[in-house]
Order: sequence, then C-alpha cells, then structure tokens
Amino acid sequence: MQAEVEVQQEQEILYKQEKKRLTRKKLDSWLLLLPTLAIFIFFFLLPLFFLFITSFKTFDAGSGIGSEWTLQNYVKFLFDKFYLGVLWRTVKIGLLTTLVAIVISYPVAYQITKANGRLKNYLTLLVLSPLLISMVIRCYGWVILLSNNGVVNNTLMKMGWIDKPLTLLYTEFSVVIGMVHVLFPYMVLSIMGSLERIDPSVIRASQNLGASPIRTFFSVVLPLTLPGIFAGSVMVFSLAVSSFVTPAILGGPQVKVMSFLTYEQVTTMLNWPYGSAIGFLLIFIATITIVVYSKLLTRSEKGVAIQ
Amino acid sequence: MSYLCLENVVKTFDKTEVVKKMNLEIKKGELVSFLGPSGCGKTTTLNMIAGFLEVDGGRIVVDGKPVHLLPPNKREMGMVFQNYALFPHMTVFDNVAYGLKLRKVPKGEIRERVLEALEMVRLAGYEKRYPKELSGGQQQRVSLARALVIKPKVLLLDEPLSNLDAKLRQEMREEIVEIQKKVGITTIFVTHDQEEALAISDRIAVMYEGRIEQMDTPVEIYNHPKTDFVSRFIGEVNQIQGQVVETYNGQQCKITFDGYEQVISKLGVKDSVMNFYLRPEKIQLAQTNREGLHVKLERKMFLGAKTRYILQFKEKQLIADISNTVLNPDLIKEGQDVYAVWNPEELLLVKK
Amino acid sequence: MRKVLPKAGLNLFCLLVYIFLAAPIVVVLLSSLTTTEYIVFPPKGITLRWYTELLDHPEFMQSFTLSIIVAFGTAIIATFIGTMASIAVVRYEFKLKTAIVQLVGSPLLIPSVVFGVALLQFYSWIGIAASPIALVIGHIILTIPFVMRLVVASLVGFDRSIEQAAMNLGAGSFKVFFQITLPMIKSGVIAGAIFAFITSFDDLTVALFIVSTDVVTLPVRIYTYMQYQYDPIITSVSSIMILLTFVLMVVIERVLGVGKVFASKN
Repeated sequence: MQAEVEVQQEQEILYKQEKKRLTRKKLDSWLLLLPTLAIFIFFFLLPLFFLFITSFKTFDAGSGIGSEWTLQNYVKFLFDKFYLGVLWRTVKIGLLTTLVAIVISYPVAYQITKANGRLKNYLTLLVLSPLLISMVIRCYGWVILLSNNGVVNNTLMKMGWIDKPLTLLYTEFSVVIGMVHVLFPYMVLSIMGSLERIDPSVIRASQNLGASPIRTFFSVVLPLTLPGIFAGSVMVFSLAVSSFVTPAILGGPQVKVMSFLTYEQVTTMLNWPYGSAIGFLLIFIATITIVVYSKLLTRSEKGVAIQ
Repeated sequence: MSYLCLENVVKTFDKTEVVKKMNLEIKKGELVSFLGPSGCGKTTTLNMIAGFLEVDGGRIVVDGKPVHLLPPNKREMGMVFQNYALFPHMTVFDNVAYGLKLRKVPKGEIRERVLEALEMVRLAGYEKRYPKELSGGQQQRVSLARALVIKPKVLLLDEPLSNLDAKLRQEMREEIVEIQKKVGITTIFVTHDQEEALAISDRIAVMYEGRIEQMDTPVEIYNHPKTDFVSRFIGEVNQIQGQVVETYNGQQCKITFDGYEQVISKLGVKDSVMNFYLRPEKIQLAQTNREGLHVKLERKMFLGAKTRYILQFKEKQLIADISNTVLNPDLIKEGQDVYAVWNPEELLLVKK
Repeated sequence: MRKVLPKAGLNLFCLLVYIFLAAPIVVVLLSSLTTTEYIVFPPKGITLRWYTELLDHPEFMQSFTLSIIVAFGTAIIATFIGTMASIAVVRYEFKLKTAIVQLVGSPLLIPSVVFGVALLQFYSWIGIAASPIALVIGHIILTIPFVMRLVVASLVGFDRSIEQAAMNLGAGSFKVFFQITLPMIKSGVIAGAIFAFITSFDDLTVALFIVSTDVVTLPVRIYTYMQYQYDPIITSVSSIMILLTFVLMVVIERVLGVGKVFASKN
C-alpha cells in the first residue's frame, strides 16, 4: 500500500519534471533563435515592408516620397515601352547567361567528376576560386580585356581580322560574359552533384548492353543529370536577373537592367516610389522563377521520376 | 537479490505503447541478453535504462535506488553503441580518458586506468591513434574500454557486434564475455542474433511487441520455449500434426503421425489433432524398415559438419539436420524412401 | 582512336574554359606592372611604381582597413548567431519553423539592390548614419543564409549517438556541446565564417547605399574611382586584394584543408 503511494508520488514528480523540461526546451529554442530573428525582423522584414509601402506612394520632387497613395508606379512601368524593354533585356540577359553557363559548365563538371584524387580536388578548387575573388575586380579585369584598345580588340586587329575596334564593352555581350564568369561555379557545382549521384553500374550496364560511350552519354548520363542542370539553371537565372555589380560595371547606363534602373531611380532621380516599385517587380520575377521551379520539381517527383 | 529492476516500465511513442508494463530483474554480475526482432522494444528499453529516453510509467531501480528520474549523465552506466560512437576528434587515449576527466580523477590515475583498460581490450600501444585509423573491431574495443574505465554500475551493449563481419563477430563476443566475467559487471546485451544470445548469455530475455515473452537460461529457452513466439524465433522448427489415438490416466497419450505411433507425456483428448514443433537436429533417419515416419528424401545440402535433408511427407516438407559423423551423407540418394524417427520428448507442443 | 578523340576534345574545351576563368584575374595582376600612365595589356615594361603610388592615396588604405573591420565583425557575429539559430532549427521543434527557415534564407532570393534601398530608407528614417556598425548589420543579413546552410549541413549529418556516449560517460549538456558537438561541426562553422568574411568584404551592392563620404568600403572606393579614372592604380589595389585572397586560401588549406571546406558546402 505504502509502496503504491510512493510510486504515485514519484509519477507526479516525473510528470512535473517532464513539463518543466518541455517548457525549458521551448525556451531554449527561442533563445537560440532570438538574435538572428531580431536582426531579421528589424533590419530586413521591416525595411522591406516600408519600401513596399513606399512603392504605392506618389513622387514628390522635394522629399522624394509624396503623401498620396497610388498604383501609378506599377502602371507606369507596365505600360511603357522603354521600361518593358529594360525588363525584357534583364530576362534576356538572364536566359543567355544561363544557356552559356550550361554549355560551358557541363564538360567541365564532367571532366572533374571523371578525374580522380588530387587532380579532382585541384580542379574543383580552380573552378571555385573565382568565387573568392572580389566581383568588382573580376569585372574590372573584363573591362581591361574588352575595352576599345583592350586585349581582345588589339589581338583581333593584329591578326588583321578587323580594321577598327569592335564595340565590346558596355554591351549586352560584355554583361553576359561577365555574368557567366561570375555565376559559372554555381552551375558546375550543381551539375557535378548530379553526375556524382549516378551509380557507375548503370553506365556499365548500358555499355554491357552494347551502347557506345557516346550513345551511353546521351541516353543514360545526360537524362540522369537533367535535374542538376535544371537546379543550376534556376539558381543562375535568378542570380543573373537580380545581380547589380556586373551590369553596373560592364553595362553601365548603356545596358540598363532592372537592378540598375532601381539604383538610378533612387540615387540620381531621387524618385523613391518608382525605384521601389521597380525593385519589387524584380523580386517578383526572381520569386516566380523559384516557385515555378519547385512546382515543376514536385510534379516530376510525383509523376515520371527524372531522378 | 536483484541488482537492476524494471518495474512496470512503459514507453509510448505517438500513442502506441512500444514497451508495455515491463518487469525485469537482473542479478549482480549477470549477463542478460535482450533478444528479439527489430521493433520488439529491446533498444527502447535499453535507452530508457541508459536515460536517453524517459520512462512514461514505472520505475527503474539500480542497486536499491530508483534512477529513472536521473539524466543520463548521472546514471553511472557504461554504454557501448552499435556504431561505436567514438569521438572522432580525440585520440584513443582521450576517448577512454574522457569519462575519467569528467569525474575529476587525478591525472596520474587517469593515465594508469586508461592504459590498464586498453591493456584489457588488447589495444596497448594504440593510445595516440585516432578512431578513423582503427578497424571496426578495434574501434569496438576502444568503445568497450571507454565504457568500462569509469567502473559503471551496469554495462549496456547495444548490438555491439552487428557492424562486424562474421568471423570477427565470434572472436569479439568471446572476448566480451571473458572481460565481463573478469570484471564481474552486470551487463545487458541487446541483439537480434539468437546464436549470439545463446552463446554468451547467463540469461536471455526474449522480447516481442514490447513484452518479455520468456526470460530464462539459454538451455531452457532453447529446449523449453514457453510461448509460441519463442519456439518459432529461437532455432528452426518443423511444424507437424499428430492425431491422438489413446489417452492414459490423463498423464500420457498415444499419438500417430501418419502411422508412426508414439506415447508422449502430455495431456490429450482422444481423436483430437495436436500441433507440435520439432527441431531439425532432433530428427534421425533410418533406411531399413524400422518404426518411423515414412518420408522421401527430396534434396540434401552439404553444410560442412552436418547435412541438411529436405524430406517430403505428404504435401509437407520436413527438415532434418544430421551430423556427418553420425550419418554419411552419401548413403542416402535423393528420391529415396527413408524413415524419420525422433524421441517423443523432443516434441514441443504448440500453445494456442 | 575513337576513344582518344572525344577525350582530347573534352580536355581542350575544358582548358579553354579554365583560361576564360583565369583571364580577367591574370590581366589585372599583370597590367598593374605597366610603366605607362594608362592601363595596357600586355604591360609595357615592368615597374612597381603603381604600388608605391598607392601611398599617395591614403583613402584606399582607409577603405581597406574599414572593409577588413566590417568583414571581421560580420564574420564573427553572423557565425555566432547563425550557429545558434542552426542548432535551434535542426535540434528543436517549434511553431512557425518553416516560416522562420524561409525568412532567414530569403536574402539569397531578394535582389541585393532592393535590400540596399530598403535599408537606406529605413536607416535614414530612424536616423542611423553611415558607420561600420550600420554596414555590419546589413552584411549579417546577407551572410546568415550561407552560415546557416553550412552549419545546418554539418549538424544534419551528425551522429547523435556520439553525444549520447558523452552524456553516458557523465557529461552535462554544456560540456557535451563545447567538448563534443562544437569540435565536430568545426569545419562547417569555420567554412561559414570564411564565406561570411568573403561575402562581406566583397559586397558592393548593399554598401553602395549605406556608405557616406568618409565611411567607404574598398569595393565602393574602387567602383567610384574607376567611374572617373582609368589609371593602373586600380590594378595595383586589385592585385593586392587578389594576393591577399591567395594567402588566405593557403592559410585555410593549411589549417583546414580546402577540400574539407568545399566538401561541406555541397
């Protein structure tokens, strides 16, 4: 009888301890999150929210932001040929960058995955090292290479292929070149990931069934790496459309893209509402890409598996 | 006098009871195996004893003191994990010394005890190595030394041999028993390998669906399984049916297996059908027309020391394992008619 | 023959890509040595003149120091609070977890320009002037996603039984964290810190909106300088930065092994 009472008491203590532990656990997790969450709410969410509000305000020549509410900023953008042209150019540069990145990344990723041991490490490092060097400096290198008396033009003229320098710098061409250079490592990493996941016995099976190496590549390897290409493309495209440094240095005001337009509206025109509206349209494009991507991904996982 | 007791211990995950009112008593210095298929609750029970999972009811008592409310770091139990769980950033010496350092043991003594422990697991000279420089078996020895060096009250082994290859597994299990007997530590050994459990345990707790089906010595478990599950889980069995022909004063009855008549000391009802289990190694084969069950040899498999005979009996199969020194496997040809005989004492009645 | 040809083609193609990758960096390094008053490649003659000339431009030195301070501050704070948040995300269950994870990952999706503009507006409204701290706050937000990705990755693959082993041997939760968990996720944490440092040091977009005339980070300084000037002084500054990166990489390699850093990135 007494033992039973004891057991009951113990159970009660146990229950209380458990409850205390659970609340402490909850508290622990919030304490761990608190600093990050606080910074994000105050210096990320709140500023973006205010900027979103600004994008619905009228322009005031004195203070930049007027007091009236309006949809005019968005309407102006979406019904103006010039601005739509900028939008189209941004998307076009993003698509071109993605396409070129795929074409030059795939062989490199393939070569690195095939390499073994030390060589593989060094090649990976070589491909990733540009990520560590300042983007401003890398773009500057392209300025030196592509300018009117730059390396490329000088070489072409010496060879006698052209008689006056080509306009390479401050064109869509130079922006795409610079972007590919900057974003290339992301694509390589993504493709490498999917190449490494391929079970080598699948390739052996294909060859065993009589397929040549080239046939094996196109009918087995390439389809299996499509998800990697796809993921890399989404990453490269969304980074390309939102990047600022490369188009600013290699395109300048001659090759206006959305990010540069935002910067220009805010810093030189001081038209904050319009700049904000352009910025949010840019966010919209980047987000749409990601959302469509994840929708497609879940669908492909449900239906015919790519992987 | 029991040293480690589980009293009505319960564990619930998402409203399913995975351990149901478990009671268990282990004597000091005893090696007890928890044996059962995966999902039987053996690892859950072990984790509750170690303190990694909290009990949802009941008590765990060690050496007369309840421990189920203590956090794992206060329970004084040594544990050896399935994947060894060595600290990868520490040398062998530091791994073994870790528990002693936490107990603020003086430096000189730490050294002495660590070296002694490594000596015991035959790893002297490996102090400066890192875990990744050791083989699986060596890692397991370090893990054992690390658990034992703190002189825990209870040693818990969570499927410690399952990541080793077959030969090493046998070596290691003998070594574990040897060390366990030398140190005299109360030990719980979780395994799903019945051969392992039979070989090393003082007693085995056979678990199934969160309950202990039977807890007994290996010999008892094997020869006198108390439940249907235990008979099927431990060792291999043939299932045969016999018909009661006669009963004698309630103590014995005569049974016929398709003409092979035997008197067994079990209670039976005349004309009823009884189900039995029969272990393959308990069956003998005779070629001559002696009293026995008439079967046909369908196939035989040479297994080294013994041969497995697969016998056809009506539409059913019967398996017999016979040592090659007892019966020359070349003697009987496949397709030949033979007689299967067994001692009626070896028939295990199926409990419904 | 049939096997050799595609392989040679592949190697040649890759070589061209590697040249493409190295080209702008090599060009910057070499043209910093030119004796001419303007940038030219290949350089005419060899001189270190443009490096000594840097001494007459103390503003570059100031910007360099500022960038280093901001990058250090960012790396330390972002790694510290990012690691804490990663532990919460991996080890605990709490309300709104998905939403919080998405929030702290979103700076990767939001164009930096927009974030820069938003921060500028917010700072000017609440009256925060350009300062190293104002920059560090912006950069923490840019770098937390990287830190958390790397730390979460090293925590997810973490074998909890090693922590259980430590507990079983008598270690309390603080000891388990500092003696076992932290040393084991070290490479992820350090990689996170390095990425945070580099991202902060490299950032032009957000800094461009926050800087004032006397608080200017190096990328902003270089960017504004080259809008108006085209002399080799920029190439010498850039070369120093490239060489510093190189030294940093060698140090990391020695301390950690670069393979490890990047291995944990994937």
